[in-house]
Amino acid sequence: MDRVTRVLAGLLGRSAGMLPAARRKWAEAVLAEAGEVPAGSARVAWLGGGLWLVAREAVMGRIMRVLAFAAGAVGLAWIGWPGASSNSATPLNRVYVTGTVVLLAVLPWVVRRYFGPVRGGWAPRAARVGGYAMVLTLIAAKAVKDRDGSKLGTYFVIVPGEWIMEIVFLLVIVGCLAGLLILTSQRIRLTRWSLPVGIGAGAVTAGVLYALAPLGAGFILFFPLGSLWGLVSLALPLATGFLVARLATRDARPGVLNPAWQGCLAASCVTAAAALLLAVLTTVTIALFPHHVPLQSPPPPPGGGCETCDPNNTVIPPGLRHEYWVEISVGQAGMGAYIAVLLAPFLGAGLGALGGGLASKSPGTRRRGGGSPSAASPPGPSQPLMGRASDAEREQVIGLLKAAFVQGRLAKDELDARAGHALTALTRADLAALTTDLPQHPRPG
Amino acid sequence: MAGRSGFSVQTLSVLAALCAEPAGWRHGYRIAKDTGLKSGSLYPILIRLADRGLVEARWEEEQPAGRPRRHLFRLTPGGLAQAKAALAERAAAPRRRATAAGRRRVAQEGT
Repeated sequence: MDRVTRVLAGLLGRSAGMLPAARRKWAEAVLAEAGEVPAGSARVAWLGGGLWLVAREAVMGRIMRVLAFAAGAVGLAWIGWPGASSNSATPLNRVYVTGTVVLLAVLPWVVRRYFGPVRGGWAPRAARVGGYAMVLTLIAAKAVKDRDGSKLGTYFVIVPGEWIMEIVFLLVIVGCLAGLLILTSQRIRLTRWSLPVGIGAGAVTAGVLYALAPLGAGFILFFPLGSLWGLVSLALPLATGFLVARLATRDARPGVLNPAWQGCLAASCVTAAAALLLAVLTTVTIALFPHHVPLQSPPPPPGGGCETCDPNNTVIPPGLRHEYWVEISVGQAGMGAYIAVLLAPFLGAGLGALGGGLASKSPGTRRRGGGSPSAASPPGPSQPLMGRASDAEREQVIGLLKAAFVQGRLAKDELDARAGHALTALTRADLAALTTDLPQHPRPG
Repeated sequence: MAGRSGFSVQTLSVLAALCAEPAGWRHGYRIAKDTGLKSGSLYPILIRLADRGLVEARWEEEQPAGRPRRHLFRLTPGGLAQAKAALAERAAAPRRRATAAGRRRVAQEGT
């Protein structure tokens, strides 16, 4: 029994390291208290419970995520991989499937490496899961659509320029997802409503544009100034940038991103989410109902010349001309949304910067330097240490702790432990005690 | 098994144990003994309560002789208020859904 206890304790101590930093102390607590439990079966049961705790907290969550992603990846490969060798979209689709799965799998690691862990809570999590699901759906639907639009592979030659466009498209999409992961990481501190407002406004824009043209909103997006809806879809990111920047100027928490930046980011969220969602909706519709796609005008050149072939003197046999026309229409449907995806994040950033700049310059708001915790006003020496701690003070201490971690004054474990204490500290004296051995501490000498 | 307050019977028993002496810090094994819960059930409950800001946790400050430092818990002021409300609600409708054992423990620990 003694040996079982030792083995279990060893296992628990080692497996505690698998937990996210904020959870590790709980497993360590179970281990620390094992000594209190009467030796024998009670202690074995206690340690067993600790291992179960680790399993619940670490492994389950991770396994669930990996399984969900694997299911999505398998679904994408199942839909996107097959294709006749005569179909010119087949190699492109396979590159897309492989590239998407690889990039989406490594993305969380890369973001974690440079921006630290992502934020918990249902809203950021739903945004991340939704973003991943959207991208997987988009790539799968696009593969189906392109396959339908390239059956006469000999007449649809994919030229190097198109390959480059397609790869840039994939990279921009992955870049949008990376942005989502970064914006929901713990290091980036946004005002509470920035991200939901940005994504929500984007979803509304996408819904409206999709309802106007379910099979491709080419003209609306190509010539935004030419249509009322196009103008509205440009005004929305501008307004969002303004609104979010205004909200952010009222957010007094230390370390919150500068309002103009927040406006810029929120507006990028509007346009990127709108373009991506519109691309998903449009592409899925085209993939499901390719026969409803309106035939593009003008029709293929008279005499049966092939538009996409090079040199432009390949003649399509008369019997294939209608099929060719249908396929080229399906293949090019939805192109407006893809071009919007390519441009949207940058367009949104520009509009948001404009809106955010207007908001921070308008009267009644004050500009704050964002980012560094030292920019926040610490409770000065004149303020007594008596009394209860406020959330702002807790945040500020966490900011100081993080700065100390960055400077190498604190180990990761110490940072986590102290940040945990800071979050639960009741009194200002408790808070001050957490930074007494650090420079710039808020405590008076 | 969640009542109107959103707490399960087991969570209520933990809250009741913590309520018995709200100012004092307790360690996990003591709560386990008070509630009859196993570590594998008790700790997830404590983690959720801590995540919701109802329970605060800290390590023992001084290094005790002969044993590792323990992790200590108590209710936050908000947690105490919510726990009292939930326990009062449970006491008002004792026959609703609660298991006999859970009810006994809640009744015994509740104030």
